[in-house]
Amino acid sequence: MELFNIFLKAAFVENLVLAYFLGMCSFLAVSKTVKTAFGLGLAVIFVLGITMPINWLITEYLLSETGIFGMDLTFLRLILFIAVIASMVQLVEMIIEKVSPALYTSLGIFLPLITVNCAILGGSLFMVSREYSFGESVAFGLGGGFGWFLAIIAIAAIREKIRYSAVPPGLRGLGMAFILTGLMGLAFMSLMGIDPAALMGTK
Amino acid sequence: MALLDFLKKIEPDKKKSPFLHTLYDGFFTFAYTPNTVTSDGVHIRDGMDLKRTMVMVVLAMQLCYIFGSYNIGHQHFVAIGENTGLLEGFLLKIVYGLVKILPIFLVTHIVGLGIEFFYAAKKGHAIEEGFLVSGALIPLIMPPDIPLWILALSVTFAVIIGKEAFGGTGMNILNIALLARVFVFFAYPTTISGDEVWVAGLEACSGGAAVDYGFIETSIINPLFGWLGMSGFNEAATVVDGYTGATPLGLASKGGWDAVTAVYSTDQMWWGAIPGSIGETCKPFIIAGALLLVTIGIASWRVMLSMLMGAAFMAFALNLWGATPFMEVPWMYQFYMGSFFFAMAFMATDPVTAASTNTGKWIYGFLIGMVGMIVRVMNPAYPEGWMLAILFMNVFAPLIDHYVLESNINKRLKRA
Repeated sequence: MELFNIFLKAAFVENLVLAYFLGMCSFLAVSKTVKTAFGLGLAVIFVLGITMPINWLITEYLLSETGIFGMDLTFLRLILFIAVIASMVQLVEMIIEKVSPALYTSLGIFLPLITVNCAILGGSLFMVSREYSFGESVAFGLGGGFGWFLAIIAIAAIREKIRYSAVPPGLRGLGMAFILTGLMGLAFMSLMGIDPAALMGTK
Repeated sequence: MALLDFLKKIEPDKKKSPFLHTLYDGFFTFAYTPNTVTSDGVHIRDGMDLKRTMVMVVLAMQLCYIFGSYNIGHQHFVAIGENTGLLEGFLLKIVYGLVKILPIFLVTHIVGLGIEFFYAAKKGHAIEEGFLVSGALIPLIMPPDIPLWILALSVTFAVIIGKEAFGGTGMNILNIALLARVFVFFAYPTTISGDEVWVAGLEACSGGAAVDYGFIETSIINPLFGWLGMSGFNEAATVVDGYTGATPLGLASKGGWDAVTAVYSTDQMWWGAIPGSIGETCKPFIIAGALLLVTIGIASWRVMLSMLMGAAFMAFALNLWGATPFMEVPWMYQFYMGSFFFAMAFMATDPVTAASTNTGKWIYGFLIGMVGMIVRVMNPAYPEGWMLAILFMNVFAPLIDHYVLESNINKRLKRA
């Protein structure tokens, strides 16, 4: 139940894109059609879900004073996190190229760019600062990824719809995407402040 | 036909003064159906054009307007302990309500229509009367004492960012009226939430506080009523002891259903003699409006029914959970409080921002019901959930439509 709370909170209440505005570059760039957005969203869920527990193991057993090296190596945290994320993204890239070449070409440069997607590094850093346990970090990774996935397919569907609208020329494309992101953030504020854990505690 | 001749005579030249012509065109089509019809493509030709549709929606809201303005006065007098019966001091209450609601109505329309006229003239097309419905809705969902400059700001934001940026009427993603309200809600939260704001004309909502009458009440209406031989506003009145101005929802979130029934009876809540946003309180009148809209086929009964089912389902589930006093409020009584019916009848059914496929409408409505009830009951930060739930689902409506269409396409491909 605790893990489920963390999943829900990461997906809806503290959505990585719409509450923290992380991972904006690929969110804005790959959200032109639902199909590619769906593919990238799945890739992000996968990468977040995998890197989070691996990074947890690294902080716990390599970098902390109680780890194998017996000294405080937290200054290496960022570089190791990025290395883990980069290798995971490489893995995802190979899988997608093998399974769906069409998706691979439509995602283009943005697939390897998940490496520098701040949502993913941000997720790992949140995990450290919030002192999650192993299970919690898995739930947070999957939840955060799911929230990102939901946000990108929602904006992609909206952008497919407004393609037929008479948007003023200066705002077409990215300009509209920025306005949409802001408005979606406004709508997502509805859930901000809900704390499932607190509700359980009052019983 | 005298009016038609008159209008024809004063028609300004389109080339010489485009702005005046836009203005003229807007009012002309309001009075008469235009003579021009679409000539290419396949179209259903019907007198029920966009303007006529919108006027019907505005008509459906009129009962809410009448009761809303009366209720502003009624709540004010209940707070100061005069004319506490529903029909006592009828004239004074309705006059007071009108003094409050007319400026709100005027500011909304002057700002909103002003922007609309400006864009129409600038883009060189006829006025898209999209603001008629939003403009009629916005006063109904505001608290009676909203500062007018905040109102003007929120309407500006909603019309420019919410609508004109998307290309005008019929292209917006989020409901304009709700966007205006949500803007006030997040930018100026103290003017639209809490116990203090729902009753007009008081310095504060606690016993002994003075009333706050403006120039119109003291210098125009009181002398006028005195001249007619009737009693006017009592400028020395104070708020009765023990009065808090709390809405049923505010009470329920603190002490559950018992706390609500200690102050308000169920009849009172159902008929709407409670503090709240101007137009949301009287349920039977809202339902009458909803039935009118469903009968003439403007609003979707699918959205309404599924939203009712979603909310009932979620309220029932929360009853079973029962972790806080608010969750234990019997599920059917959740409908007596707050703005559920108003949101259901006029907000969720907005054909532009709702899902447009029939299956999509069921999903859309049901999820609004669930999310709204979750926000209302489980989110301690917000007292009411429907505004935010509808905006939340507005964001997902195109996605729902996308997948409904996709599954239909797949079904047909399989059949072929």
